Amino acid sequence: MSEKISKADRLINRRIKKSRVGKRVTVKKAAECFFTYLGLIVLAFIFLFPVLWLVLAAFSESGSMYTFKGFFPSAYSFETFKNLFTDTKMYDYPRWFGNTMLVATCSAILGSLLVILTAYVVSRFRFPARKGIMKATMVLGMFPSFMAMTAVYLLMTQFDLINNLAGLVLIYAAGAPMGYLTQKGFFDTISNSMYEAARIDGANNLKVFIKITLPIAMPMIIYTLLTSFTWPWSDFILPKLLLKNRDMYTVAVGLMSLGDTEFARFAAGSVFIAVPIIILYFALTKYMVNGLTAGAVKE
Amino acid sequence: MENTIVEDTSYHGKKPIGKRLATYFRNIPHRFCAFFKRLGGKFAAIPKRIARRAEYVRKAPKAVKASMCLPGLGQIMQKQIVKGIIFLLLFAAYVVYMVLLGGKAMYNFFSLGVIPPNPWLGIKGDNSVMMMLLGILAFIITGFYLAVHFANIRDAKRTHDYVARGNKTPNFIQSLGSMFDKYFYVTALVLPIVGVFVFNILPIIFMIFLAFTDYGGNIVSTGALVSLIGFDNFAMLFSMGGLLGSTFIKILGWNILWAVMSTFLNYFGGLGIALLLNKKIVKGKKIWRAFPVLAYAVPGFITLLAFKFMFSNLGPINYYIELFGGTGKMFFGIDSKWSARLIGWLVNAWLSVPSSMLLATGILANLNPDLYEAAKIDGASAWKQFIKITLPFVIFATTPVLIGQFMGNFNNFGVFFFLRGGIYVDGYFLASDTDLLINWLYNLSIDNNYYSLGAAISIIIFVIASVISIIVYVKSPSYSKEDMYR
Repeated sequence: MSEKISKADRLINRRIKKSRVGKRVTVKKAAECFFTYLGLIVLAFIFLFPVLWLVLAAFSESGSMYTFKGFFPSAYSFETFKNLFTDTKMYDYPRWFGNTMLVATCSAILGSLLVILTAYVVSRFRFPARKGIMKATMVLGMFPSFMAMTAVYLLMTQFDLINNLAGLVLIYAAGAPMGYLTQKGFFDTISNSMYEAARIDGANNLKVFIKITLPIAMPMIIYTLLTSFTWPWSDFILPKLLLKNRDMYTVAVGLMSLGDTEFARFAAGSVFIAVPIIILYFALTKYMVNGLTAGAVKE
Repeated sequence: MENTIVEDTSYHGKKPIGKRLATYFRNIPHRFCAFFKRLGGKFAAIPKRIARRAEYVRKAPKAVKASMCLPGLGQIMQKQIVKGIIFLLLFAAYVVYMVLLGGKAMYNFFSLGVIPPNPWLGIKGDNSVMMMLLGILAFIITGFYLAVHFANIRDAKRTHDYVARGNKTPNFIQSLGSMFDKYFYVTALVLPIVGVFVFNILPIIFMIFLAFTDYGGNIVSTGALVSLIGFDNFAMLFSMGGLLGSTFIKILGWNILWAVMSTFLNYFGGLGIALLLNKKIVKGKKIWRAFPVLAYAVPGFITLLAFKFMFSNLGPINYYIELFGGTGKMFFGIDSKWSARLIGWLVNAWLSVPSSMLLATGILANLNPDLYEAAKIDGASAWKQFIKITLPFVIFATTPVLIGQFMGNFNNFGVFFFLRGGIYVDGYFLASDTDLLINWLYNLSIDNNYYSLGAAISIIIFVIASVISIIVYVKSPSYSKEDMYR
């Protein structure tokens, strides 16, 4: 019996033997290890260096870029950060920061609510206009995003919302439902039986949405909140178009108005606005990956 | 002949994309015929439908008829006072709007203004563009009102039937309850739909109309009346002789090259990093992954401005070039076409590779490891495993995203706006040799008031996007059926 080992079994045996021997470090393996780590170090450097450079610049003593020795400031101090918040005559950074915070928070909450509602309803209910809505959003999505800018600007002058943060919030929140596909993809994966059970227990649809859908969709809600927060947080086109007063600027528009001689101020301002987002991203990387993949696998 | 769907049966499984596209386009005449046949059927059915509606109106109970004439009246007649008053108020609001603003706006939409401005006499003249915008708004509001009106009729009928079956008339609280239960989808979608109509659809319709007018240049500054000029804007863009036409061709060519190159680099860059991090010998994956995520988390405009400073005339890169005896370069100057393009390409990769890495990581986590085991037993090399297993799987799973990335790169506004904005190069009409269509659109309409040309370019971008989407659509049936990786 034992002589009659099939070809596949023999191959497997060879592999097992090999894997026992394979603990030994061969030249090939060492080289592979070396190149892998070399690649990783190079990548880490490429992605870290520009960020590091900005952080260093934020701590430079002189504001202008012309005093730098290549990438490195000639002297370091905390002065720039202090200036950023105290010397607000020309560049009122605290004000800009407050504006950005307000706009981003409000539009994240409003926009997420609208997106989640739209995605849930389109995914869960079958109603006459459903197909039409889906097709229409697909067609609308093909128009370049700021084709509408001119018209939005005219509309805003008509509604008297130029130089008004509420106008910005309105545009961001109203545009949010257009990107409901990722969220719909998520809701499509949840089976209907859970809803049905609750319905049989006598819960109405509003209750089902609040008590069942929202808790299940928590990861997706976090993803939605995050993305709809970062969009206004770093958008520059709309604020630049709609906000004319320096007092009303968001950080993005404000930082854009800084030149070479205010480089340190730019760097400090950037670091300060990037840090909260970076912390959020690292805390929520898992949700980001899930959200990105939900949009990918489901059409 | 034209009415048969062409099908190619010589392939088992997936046909190559070229074949499928060919089939799709060959079937267009057939689908065209089918579409018109269906349309014809709809038209033929119109008398029948009118008859049915008339029947409905004739047979309708008194309360429903009352609601048809005056919204809310039927509800009040059926003792649903609060609901009736709400419908009445909506109707009143619409009437007031139409009398005060809407009617005039609709009229103006067709006239586009009649009084030309006359600075000598101090006459401001009619603002044609505003008239167009408000006219479209008036039509949209009318559409919303009609929806409310029909809902009101349907509601009256429903209440009538409900009571006729021997039930008690539902009171206001109960009606409110059904709004959040049976008609939850309507209630939930009202806000999103109104928002999208006002801030997305209205502007897009407006811009489509604008593309067929002469609103731009002198007309904007003098405030003269705007008139419809048909396809002249498009003709100008496609005329080979003029500066405008040659600019368009040059920018379109560069734009396509840019989109292909960027998508390629970003996609395979991200995949490469994800595979590198996925290797068994890599220890501390989380720490290594943190670097790209850091780059991903920094807001894009900060990165772009930082890179602009880095490559600026007195920036660090030039500092080192001069330190080692070279002469400083203008990386984003007037005549630095290819260096600016190359830097833009790499900077864009820095921005976008991390997100496609995260995506690839998520996809690779779903890949069945047994496949690799099997391949190893069969003696496949690492390269072969990549080509035969990893790559097809990843591409299969990310096709929609890939197309999304392609369109995102095609319309990538930020990179050259920040790195090289505001530069106009000779031989281009208000654009530079790095500008993409979307940047040109911005230069024309926001910076230089050529609104109608900008609108025409938007429509061209839309057409390109829809052609690409059709290709994806053709691809998708085979895509949705496949489950060979599960």
